[in-house]
Amino acid sequence: MADEFDVEYIRGDDREARILVRGLTPAFANGLRRAMIADVPTLSIDTLRVVENSSVMFDEMIGLRLGLVPLTTPDDFEYGDTVTLSLDVEGPDTAYSGDLESSDPDVNPADEDVPIIQLNENPSGENQRIELEAEAVLDDGKSHAKQSGGVAVGYRHLRKVSVVGDRGEFDEEETNILRGVIETEDGELVPTDEFDHDLTERYPGKELEVEDVPGAFVFHVETDGSMTVEELVLRGIDSIESRADELQEKVAV
Amino acid sequence: MMIPVRCFSCGKVIGEHWEEFEDRARDGDEDPAAVLDDLGVDRHCCRRMMVSHRDLVDVVSPYQ
Repeated sequence: MADEFDVEYIRGDDREARILVRGLTPAFANGLRRAMIADVPTLSIDTLRVVENSSVMFDEMIGLRLGLVPLTTPDDFEYGDTVTLSLDVEGPDTAYSGDLESSDPDVNPADEDVPIIQLNENPSGENQRIELEAEAVLDDGKSHAKQSGGVAVGYRHLRKVSVVGDRGEFDEEETNILRGVIETEDGELVPTDEFDHDLTERYPGKELEVEDVPGAFVFHVETDGSMTVEELVLRGIDSIESRADELQEKVAV
Repeated sequence: MMIPVRCFSCGKVIGEHWEEFEDRARDGDEDPAAVLDDLGVDRHCCRRMMVSHRDLVDVVSPYQ
């Protein structure tokens, strides 16, 4: 494996990006993918103390919904650390994730507009109300999917597309679907959605050759908002590094 | 009952887009596919969460 990796951002924002990495082995690429899904810890609500819940949902259902709301996770937390959040909403109204009040200014719901529960008026004329305290805990994706910072993280080989000639005059034009990112003969990187994932749109009437570029992987990284894409990738790498160091230390003579 | 917070299959947070989807595609007259594209709900696993959802809170609340 190469000592240095060549990393290139193809397209992306804070929540979603395509990143090209050259010089990886398939095993390491998969290791990085798995680290981003299961080994980068995030904060998620795990326990509730319910003061009042007269909504149409059971406490447990509210707890599940709150757990799935992503919380911004700074990197100075240790496994098992907790943050307390509170929710107090009276109907007729809808309780949103943005109504959660956090005891830590760095830990907040990443999305403010996720509806938790709609509160109406009871048949007896009272307003439904929800009041609770929630405990968010730092843990990783191995314990529960809600603790995973990565959403649909995956990779594909970078494919090189070269024109080898013209299509035969009487050959049928068939669609040539390819998804991911291609490298053209001039070394240009083109995401396939620019030509509707169909190579015949980009190279009409040409005969093409498509081959994998060895050791080049295009990662598609999307986060739930608990951290930026960059942060997720870096923390994934840190996690691999710290485990490799630990192994080295343990087997050292 | 309420729109699920996340997509069952991939885990993307989709709950935040429900109210806009409901206003524009269910109650409004826009094309649901175009609204979902506009909201950034691209994968078909996430799209079925929105398309197949039915809010039941108002139906259930008289039976508290």
